[in-house]
Amino acid sequence: MKILLAEDDFASRKFMDKQLSRYGECDVMVDGEEAVDAFMMALEDGEPYDLACLDVMMPVMDGYQVLKAIRDIEAQKGIPKSKRVKVIMTTALNDERNVKMAFELGCEAYAGKPIDVEKFEKVLKKLGLI
Amino acid sequence: MAEEFNTDSMLDMFLYESGQLLEKLEGIILEKQDADCFDDSDINEIFRVMHTIKGSSGVLMYENITKVTHKLEDVFYYLRESHPDDVPHMELVEKVLAVSDFVTGELDKLKSGETPDGDEKQLVEDLDEFLSRLKGEIKKQGIEMPQANRHVEPTQFYITPVAGDDSHFYRISIHYRSDTQMSNLRAYSATYALKEVAEDLLYTPDDILSNEASADVIVAEGFHMLLQTKSSKEEVIALIDSSEAEEINFDELTKEEYGNALGEFGREDAMPATQPVEAAKSDDKDTKKEGPKPGDYVVKTKEAGKGKTLAKNQPKQQSIISVNVEKMDALMDLIGELVIAEAVVLQNPDLKVPGLELSNFQKASGQLAKITTELQEVIMSMRMMPLTNVFQKMRRIVFDVSRKLGKDIELEVVGENTEVDKNIIEHITDPLMHLVRNSVDHGIEENAEDRTAVGKPAKGKITLEAKNEGGKVYISVKDDGKGLNKDKLYQKALEKGVIENKPMSEFSDKEIFRFITLPGFSTKEEVTEYSGRGVGMDVVVKNIQSISGRLDISSVEFEGSEMTLVIPLTLAIINGIVVQVGNSPFVIETASIKEFVRVGEDDLIQEPSGEEYIVLRGECYPFIRLNEKYDLPDSVNKIEDGIIVVLEHEGSQVCVLIDKLLQEQEIVVKPIPPYVRKVKGLSGCTQLGDGSIALILDIAGLLMHDGERR
Repeated sequence: MKILLAEDDFASRKFMDKQLSRYGECDVMVDGEEAVDAFMMALEDGEPYDLACLDVMMPVMDGYQVLKAIRDIEAQKGIPKSKRVKVIMTTALNDERNVKMAFELGCEAYAGKPIDVEKFEKVLKKLGLI
Repeated sequence: MAEEFNTDSMLDMFLYESGQLLEKLEGIILEKQDADCFDDSDINEIFRVMHTIKGSSGVLMYENITKVTHKLEDVFYYLRESHPDDVPHMELVEKVLAVSDFVTGELDKLKSGETPDGDEKQLVEDLDEFLSRLKGEIKKQGIEMPQANRHVEPTQFYITPVAGDDSHFYRISIHYRSDTQMSNLRAYSATYALKEVAEDLLYTPDDILSNEASADVIVAEGFHMLLQTKSSKEEVIALIDSSEAEEINFDELTKEEYGNALGEFGREDAMPATQPVEAAKSDDKDTKKEGPKPGDYVVKTKEAGKGKTLAKNQPKQQSIISVNVEKMDALMDLIGELVIAEAVVLQNPDLKVPGLELSNFQKASGQLAKITTELQEVIMSMRMMPLTNVFQKMRRIVFDVSRKLGKDIELEVVGENTEVDKNIIEHITDPLMHLVRNSVDHGIEENAEDRTAVGKPAKGKITLEAKNEGGKVYISVKDDGKGLNKDKLYQKALEKGVIENKPMSEFSDKEIFRFITLPGFSTKEEVTEYSGRGVGMDVVVKNIQSISGRLDISSVEFEGSEMTLVIPLTLAIINGIVVQVGNSPFVIETASIKEFVRVGEDDLIQEPSGEEYIVLRGECYPFIRLNEKYDLPDSVNKIEDGIIVVLEHEGSQVCVLIDKLLQEQEIVVKPIPPYVRKVKGLSGCTQLGDGSIALILDIAGLLMHDGERR
């Protein structure tokens, strides 16, 4: 599986990279704009990502903006819902309103930091990724 | 204790909602336990409760809760769809209570920070068995089986963060031996090692890699870290390279202490463990508050080694909302219109009919005037922003420029919390930057020896001060440098031909200082990267004038100079005096009026060239007849019949002749529409109470025009 990881904090990035690499090839981005660029590039190359893990507090664009951008691009390209990239937000900002907003923006899962690895894996199963 | 663990507001919300629903459920059950059966609305309600809990527990992935509630939902689905008779009511009540107890038990576990690990199997089997009996009953009664209850698996999940109770919090201080080389790199390797195990790590000084000077700080004051980790004390100590370290202090903190310590370390986005709690609390206070939006959490690119901060500074007090500036401007405009409309009503010509009984109207209008004034004040205060950010930029400029020029300069900032209108902040940033640069570059002496020679401390000092006084903001840039040399300025002005060989004694100090604001005027022999090209001061003055401000310069040679920007607090509404010339009303800003006088023909001096002057108490002022200037017929021409208004702007005075004074009024400044050619001496227009348009006199423009004429 192809994974996009956007995370600007070094420690979290390292941790997530380690976790995610178990499931597949993991591309690591350090800010929101790069994440959207990478997503776009993969899409154009015909090898879209299966999973995107987005941090919220990032430079240039925050995770919510990235999520919105990704969903907008997919809508514009007419990608069916079932084929959309699965998005998991990974952030310590787990205020209920933030989570609701992210769900409305169309993420599949919202993982509060520090991340519960077991549950994270469970979600990947539920999402049919592993 | 319970609340302390539930730092996650999603979880809080789930617990709260589910708790409420279960209470409601038990209410229904206990009320109906002695009845023969549940009625339709009860069945619907129970179905809905189960459905909701199933849904949210699914999102949060508490699977046992989901399964149990799912089964009971099924049961009630069949009851709802098929309405079978002879449902064993007592048994059903027991089942519902069993489910309710199970869920409550799991919720309690969650509340105390445990994992909801209750075994749901038995309960689910019981429910299955009950359900199949129910189905059999439905068949026996010959009722058509409803389609199976379709379950939509949740498609969105929320992963609760790992409960923080197995994390440890440490404060670690390392003191290196005083002869340690490159202690900053040692400190870095310690942080690097800890990043392996850290859930959160903060250290001070925080610029260890980018700032070599931090090595000295580390040696002198020690290197301090805050660490959140799952590792034990021993494991952490093993990770830290203790060679060269004289002393390592290791304190385990409680979560609360850690949260407080984060503040000491200067982290703004307080740790996740404490933030949501605060958020949840403030939620209760004002639930209507605007929710977060995408883009609220963009992080400023990190400065080397610094912790990250949000570009759009996440307000520390949650009760602040951000409003689009355009909306504020629109509101401001509307209030402006309201002020005009108020004047139109209160000064309506219809009210001037003789014999009208107006005492009630006057009372009501007084009230209205009071409210509109308050409304203005509120919107003004909403648009006010402290100068902190602008001053922060200046600090940076002083730092950069003084370093580059090799000058040792200290910046003192006074009154950075002074608030001014946001529009004004935008307009003064560049001019202020220019003034500060000038002070660093030209003001402070080139060499420290030049300073000590005249008895000043070697270190230069620039003071940036802001204060609010009488509806104006004063922002001054003061340096203790060499000051302005009047002779040099005068000579330069002569060379440039801006003063036509008038002797120096004809100019006041202020006028001479003001030469530096003329275009192309620089007394500095060489041009530097920062200033000296003589473009700039004139732009500064222009910018300041565009927001009706002025620049005051005072200086004492060898002691220093002070540049003061004087700016009105707000732009849109001014207090003005309405005067009349001929049939046209004009508005003059109250603050620029020095006095009103009546003078006789003998105080008027007419020069052969047509210029006129008025002598007041021995002083001579240029004199402008507005009626002639703007070709207004039917106006007073004899000076005794009119009124002379003495106007002042930036220390220069001018007298104008008007017919009569009408009133004082709050004036909403509107720009002159672009289809009217730019008229010198007018800065805008406004609508008066009777609906007519009045032009606003621009004193600076009048003076300039007058100067050109001469």
